[in-house]
Amino acid sequence: MREFAARFALMLVVYAGFATREPSYYHVAGIASLLDGAFLTGVIALGVGLTMVAGEMDLSVGSMAALAGVLSIKLETFGVLPALVASTALAALVGAAQGWFIARLRINSLIFTVGTLIAFRGFALLLAGEQTVNIPIADLDATDFLSAHWLFLSPLGGLLIVVALLIFGLTTFTSWGREIYAIGGGRTEARAAGVSVRRPLVLAFAMSAGLAGLAGAVMSLQSDSATPLGYDAVLLDAVTVCLIGGVALRGGRGSVVGIMIGLFTLRFLVSGIASLGAPFWAQSLASGVLLISLILAEGGYAFLRRRRSFAGVGGLRGGMS
Amino acid sequence: MIPPSLSVSLRQHLSRDAGQWPAFIVMIGVLALFIIAGAATPSFLTFGNALVIVRAASMTGIVAVGMSVITLSGNLFALSAASLGAFLAVIFAIVTASLGLAAGVVAVIVVAIAAGGLQGVAVVITGNPIIATLAFGAAFRGLASILSSNGVLRINGAAAIWIGTGRPLGVPTQSWAFLILTVFAWFLIRRTSLGRRVILTGASRDAAHASGIGVDGVICTALVIMSLMVAVVALFTVCQFSEARANLFSGYDFDYIAAVLVGGIALRGGEGSPLQAALGAILISLLENLMLLNGFSAGLRIAIVGLVVVAATGTFHVLGRKHR
Amino acid sequence: MLRMQNIAKRYGATLALEHVDLEVAAGEVMALLGENGAGKSTLVKILSGLEHPDAGSIEVNGAVRAIASPGQAKAMGISYVAQELSVIGCLSVAENVLLGDTTIGVFRSQSRLARLARPYLERVGLGYIDALRPAESFSVAERQLIEIARLLSRKTRIAILDEPTATLSETEIDRVKAAVRALAAEGCAVVYVTHRLGEVFELAGRATIIRNGRSFPAVATSSVTVDQLIEMMLGRRLDQMFPERRGGGGDELLVIKDCLCPGLTAPISLTLRKGEMIGFAGQIGSGANAILKMMAGLLPIQQGSISLHGKPFTPSSAHASIAAQIAFCSDDRKRDGIFAARNLFENLTAPTIDGISRLGVIDRTREAVRARGIAQQFDIDVNKLGRLAGNLSGGNQQKVALGKWIGLDPSILMVEEPTRGVDVGARAEIYRHLRRQTDAGLSVLFSSSDTHEVHGLADRVGTFFRGRLIDLAPASTMTVESMTRAITHPDLAA
Repeated sequence: MREFAARFALMLVVYAGFATREPSYYHVAGIASLLDGAFLTGVIALGVGLTMVAGEMDLSVGSMAALAGVLSIKLETFGVLPALVASTALAALVGAAQGWFIARLRINSLIFTVGTLIAFRGFALLLAGEQTVNIPIADLDATDFLSAHWLFLSPLGGLLIVVALLIFGLTTFTSWGREIYAIGGGRTEARAAGVSVRRPLVLAFAMSAGLAGLAGAVMSLQSDSATPLGYDAVLLDAVTVCLIGGVALRGGRGSVVGIMIGLFTLRFLVSGIASLGAPFWAQSLASGVLLISLILAEGGYAFLRRRRSFAGVGGLRGGMS
Repeated sequence: MIPPSLSVSLRQHLSRDAGQWPAFIVMIGVLALFIIAGAATPSFLTFGNALVIVRAASMTGIVAVGMSVITLSGNLFALSAASLGAFLAVIFAIVTASLGLAAGVVAVIVVAIAAGGLQGVAVVITGNPIIATLAFGAAFRGLASILSSNGVLRINGAAAIWIGTGRPLGVPTQSWAFLILTVFAWFLIRRTSLGRRVILTGASRDAAHASGIGVDGVICTALVIMSLMVAVVALFTVCQFSEARANLFSGYDFDYIAAVLVGGIALRGGEGSPLQAALGAILISLLENLMLLNGFSAGLRIAIVGLVVVAATGTFHVLGRKHR
Repeated sequence: MLRMQNIAKRYGATLALEHVDLEVAAGEVMALLGENGAGKSTLVKILSGLEHPDAGSIEVNGAVRAIASPGQAKAMGISYVAQELSVIGCLSVAENVLLGDTTIGVFRSQSRLARLARPYLERVGLGYIDALRPAESFSVAERQLIEIARLLSRKTRIAILDEPTATLSETEIDRVKAAVRALAAEGCAVVYVTHRLGEVFELAGRATIIRNGRSFPAVATSSVTVDQLIEMMLGRRLDQMFPERRGGGGDELLVIKDCLCPGLTAPISLTLRKGEMIGFAGQIGSGANAILKMMAGLLPIQQGSISLHGKPFTPSSAHASIAAQIAFCSDDRKRDGIFAARNLFENLTAPTIDGISRLGVIDRTREAVRARGIAQQFDIDVNKLGRLAGNLSGGNQQKVALGKWIGLDPSILMVEEPTRGVDVGARAEIYRHLRRQTDAGLSVLFSSSDTHEVHGLADRVGTFFRGRLIDLAPASTMTVESMTRAITHPDLAA
């Protein structure tokens, strides 16, 4: 728990810094909008976080969210829930295939997912006919329930909590989840101990693509439309959230609690900056600078230590060769 | 595809300067595509269309050539190129509008060197080029928006317009720049001591360090070179359209990376040449042009390019492993 | 429990194992002894399914079995614990103990795992630790014990332990020994690979000795002496392998006074003369290479002073050492000795890029001249300079890794394990090249776990045991036997 204390304190500082200026923070509606606003980044960060824990990274989540969003709008004629489930399942399936290829070819996931990032975007454009797709006007009422609120809880906020609990269970209480940590914390050691690398990789990438698909589909259905070029900035936010939350770039380290703390730190910061009257584009600068300072802080210490020896000078770890 | 006897003699020939074989594969791909396209598409094999292809490849190609230096140094990619381009474009437009073209050029070069150096330091310290440059990309884009107040900045002047739209000897200035910078980068990597250090750092960072090569400086230099290439592209683009906006080049990062990947430069670093990135850019441009002439939709084009990238990455990866 | 008979294995032209028998009973600790290169590791690889024998039979529990893969070995109850541990730092101790255990089911809570792991941890003497804490918060010795607890949890029937005590201190070693006894007490057959003869007598009932690919019948440790074991381990070797000494010893070049660095437990003083070759003998973890690494700027100096050419010198970084013309060739050739994907021209000129360029442009003629010059000195085929270093044999790679430093015109050349992964023929060549360099006035410091090599090659010989320099004397005053005793069991080296 000690490891979370510093991060939690940072979150509270950010919160307190802006809460004095933004009275709506104290209201039920404020909490609701906070949860809703955190849904997209949060769900995707949980998935990307899993791949980071495995010592890899799924860069294709933004494109996958866009693709699943378009797909869910197209499938909406069969009902909202079937559309949601089908898009999510398909995304997870594609992600599983992606993980299988990465394990089979022993290819660096950063490289592989750069390729699929482009390809998924193309599929989304193809499927949408290069334009924003909308739900037929007659069906508009069908998706209203996604915007409903019960006190501070909307379907979005509820879903975020459910997903976080599920991932927490997966990574804490199942051997499948723990294997993801094992291959991230020491891949050669894990292999030597007889842990298969394939299953955790397939699982991590299936989860990251599936959750990206879920987020994209829910957001699209809620707004009754999807654009094939959407969600291109979500990767940056998701990675920032994971890094604030203590997920290590080198793998093997990270937790759902940490990611949630990271998520709300970023949300407080972003909505706080907005409340100061800064233009929306300043958020990009803020999250960029935040991410730069985080990775420099994380890397700086290790860098100073390894300067003296050959041991740490090697390149990226993971499936580089 | 290649008969075994030919492939054996080919390998013997290539073994003298290994690392060249992917370039040959890409070149063969370009030629094959040319022939197929020429036969199937009537308006394809014309000088005008060739110019269109090269011109379309030029702006992507220049950045891809710069990106290839980073890849060769063993640091995969920079995901900040497009945002940096927008940032530099905005700076160029602002300085040119108030102090003139020459001052604008100087300002862009100075800022590009600083931006490259800073990113280099971050890459060295974090050891993760993708994340480090992703973060810098966001910052650059934000800075571009703030400096331009998210509006359109206009410049004018005959010299700038000539740079943007001139056609010495009937070939656009951008294509000349592409040609010259490709040759320059090729010379830098293949013939200079700096290039040798880049290659050796990419081939084995540990061995380079053990041989007394300052690997940290080499990596910073690679990022500076890429930033300068981006600066050139930003300059040409602003001159061509006489304006700069903060959302310039948005989404182009993956085009640059696609060119490097399709060019078959070894992603583990230390093998390949900037020429391959240039060829990769031309190959993609050729493919795009061909699909365009045949009336493919934009979505289909992007999807096909994406699949080509995935296929090329996987193939080169597997081939590269066998070759070792 | 285990009976291996007539095992033979050939790698290309070299016969790694000619005729080896190994028999271990349940509950027995069998020491496996032999010099480096005798064939121990090949035998261990065959047993763990990583290599397949060309001839011979393996019986496990009375049934003749073929071990086709590591997975199959695991299924048969054979576990191999390598020197590089397979304990994963970010997982809890309990998870590490039960890693890869499929009988527990997919759903498992940490506290349940800790409960299940507890008995195994207690049996290896780790009953006091919090099994929920991550493994990285424990010492190397404790992690070694966690690894042995994992063997217990897997109901391992045959355990192969490869030098489990190489990097541990005295008190830690006692704990590992106790755990190994516990493992045997469970009825497990233990194959214990070691270089430390003291442990053999304390731990093992019998010892199998391999020499040059052939095994001796197992001997009971109660019926032999240390000297007899050493005699069996050391075969007659070709003495003409080593070049003649020309009595090195010019002016004092390097004076190290009371220096201490990580890896050493006692300060070291020595003087290296111009044209002299000093060899350090010691097993892995003995500290034989520590001074080399310190001089290369890779380990910090904790105390003491160094003077080079009569002036004070501090090797503060790899760069500073290279600038002072001290070259270092590590034992991990693949990692930092050569550029596998680049040709020999580039490899041989890597430390001297500025020397072959003019105004920042590489002069291809100078490059070729320099590379050819080095190639000729080291008998590398000048027509093959265009080939990739990664495609060369181990011997030629080692020549490249050494030769590239000659262009720097170094005053001291330091080499870790000069002939690791090099076949016998190329070894003699590398010895000759090193000697030729000292004849030309270069000073050489090298460390090796091959006692013959140190004795045959060096002018003066230092022996290391557990971070301590036992003895430093001219090679002519030592024998291979006395050196072996010093690096394996110095208490008996009176």
